[in-house]
Amino acid sequence: MAETPAGTRLASGLPAPPRLELGPLQRFGAGLAVTLIYLFLLAPIVIVVAASFNPDQANALPRSGLSLRWYREFAASDGFVSAFKFSLQLGLVAALAATAIGLVTAYGIVRFLGRRRALGQALALMPMMIPHILISLSLLLLITQISLPEAGVLLIGHVMICLPFTIAGIIASLEGVDHQLELAAWTLGASRLRILWEITIPLVAPGLVSSMLFAFIVSFGDVYISLFLSSPGKTTLPIEIFTYMLWDSSPVVAAITTVQMAMIIVLGLAIERLVGLRKVMRL
Amino acid sequence: MSTAATSHTRWFGRLLFAPIGIIYVLFLLAPVSFFLALSVAKYHPNELFLPIPTLENYRRLLLDGFYLAVLGRTLKIAALVTLFSLLIGYPLALFLARTRSAWRGVLMFLVIAPLMSGVIVRTYGWIVLMGSEGLINMTLKALGLVAAPVQLMNTQLAVVVALVHILVPYMVFPIFSALASMDRNVERAASTLGARPWTVFLEVTLPLSRAGIVMGCALVFTLTAGAVVTPALMGPRDAKVLGQLIYELVSSTLNWPFASAAASLLVLCQFLVILAKFRSGRRG
Repeated sequence: MAETPAGTRLASGLPAPPRLELGPLQRFGAGLAVTLIYLFLLAPIVIVVAASFNPDQANALPRSGLSLRWYREFAASDGFVSAFKFSLQLGLVAALAATAIGLVTAYGIVRFLGRRRALGQALALMPMMIPHILISLSLLLLITQISLPEAGVLLIGHVMICLPFTIAGIIASLEGVDHQLELAAWTLGASRLRILWEITIPLVAPGLVSSMLFAFIVSFGDVYISLFLSSPGKTTLPIEIFTYMLWDSSPVVAAITTVQMAMIIVLGLAIERLVGLRKVMRL
Repeated sequence: MSTAATSHTRWFGRLLFAPIGIIYVLFLLAPVSFFLALSVAKYHPNELFLPIPTLENYRRLLLDGFYLAVLGRTLKIAALVTLFSLLIGYPLALFLARTRSAWRGVLMFLVIAPLMSGVIVRTYGWIVLMGSEGLINMTLKALGLVAAPVQLMNTQLAVVVALVHILVPYMVFPIFSALASMDRNVERAASTLGARPWTVFLEVTLPLSRAGIVMGCALVFTLTAGAVVTPALMGPRDAKVLGQLIYELVSSTLNWPFASAAASLLVLCQFLVILAKFRSGRRG
């Protein structure tokens, strides 16, 4: 991109810097390697979509025509449908809470920590550094010691594993906000809360929405927190599928996961439109 | 406003950290510490634990051949998954950081999308691929390479392949970050001074991306060491890993102290990896 202009601007008789291009053979080799890697990444997912249209009982590619049998089976299964609904509700509430808490935390980290910022950021990302199965077990132990509602603790667990993602995403958005705007409002006598509400939040709104969507995705896909904290009637979809697959197996799982993936792809594209997935990637 | 360090500013700044502080202390640090402290408590079949300090749990874990085998297997699988994730993740990160393709956004999305689909979805995908009537066996049969289906499911190979697939994005992101933020003029300088492309890569690009490599390896290693779902669904029934052991200790035998000791080893492994990360960070 900025390669040749920078080179030609030298104009001091120095040769333009080399462009670090690959030769044709290397280019072919690299292309082949990358194609194979993408094949590896995508094959299992494409296979799931294909298997969901299998008319037979087998977890395999359809060989005798296509059918929507397993989608009907999914819709008719109370267990899966209620787990799907529960996961939706849980993900929604967890994403909202993680975004709200993430916003104030990220704001504090960016604007108020000064030199201690790196430490604050590392502490905020703590749930990502502790194995999730350990968090889940510890919360279960907590319930056995103090009587707390299981669903409430499950929600807090989900909020905690979403927080590192919302905080990192919102920090990235806040860094794009011109601090001078906040200072100007401050000089003109606005209160801190008013600055946050009327200046900062509108400026980072796309970042907030995309963080919320990402948190929802994290919560919806979680297995480890829910593994020990699900209770009868309050089981998340991945746990319902996991317990089903421990004993049984049929393409109904393919149908459910295809529906789930379609939902996630739509949300992912929304994030891409709002702030670009690159921002989410740079944790 | 951050320059005017009035007491009011400090008060507002602290208030911002109140919600996360309360949650992390009450629902993360306190329960996790309590759980890990159980590892030195005594087991009792009718109580959760007996508050009598003992090293019995650790002794059993580290001296009993069965549990040693579980540990060894877990470390072996974690090392293999980390190695293969690096071998696949590095070229991919390099490609994503350097390509000028118009499809770059889409190609990045294709790396992130599997990550977002959750562990269960991808594990199921591999079950379909590796089953006795799965695509891999069908292809092998069609090519005439095998007569009977090869046993792929319920092997350690299946666990390693599926975990590499599930965790490779965690390797790609940090390496991508390191490569994208690198000053490419250093590479150009080396090239101008006569280094061949391969030398430039080995002597300049690779060392400069080391922080990303260490971070990625740390993430993948610890995530593999704590995996439960994929080994439970795809691994051999008689050769369990640490995560499965912990899961079963709590869900079926309710032996909390022993589960806590096993989890402590997981934390120890995590701690060593983080230590390695910081040491490399200081050198880099």
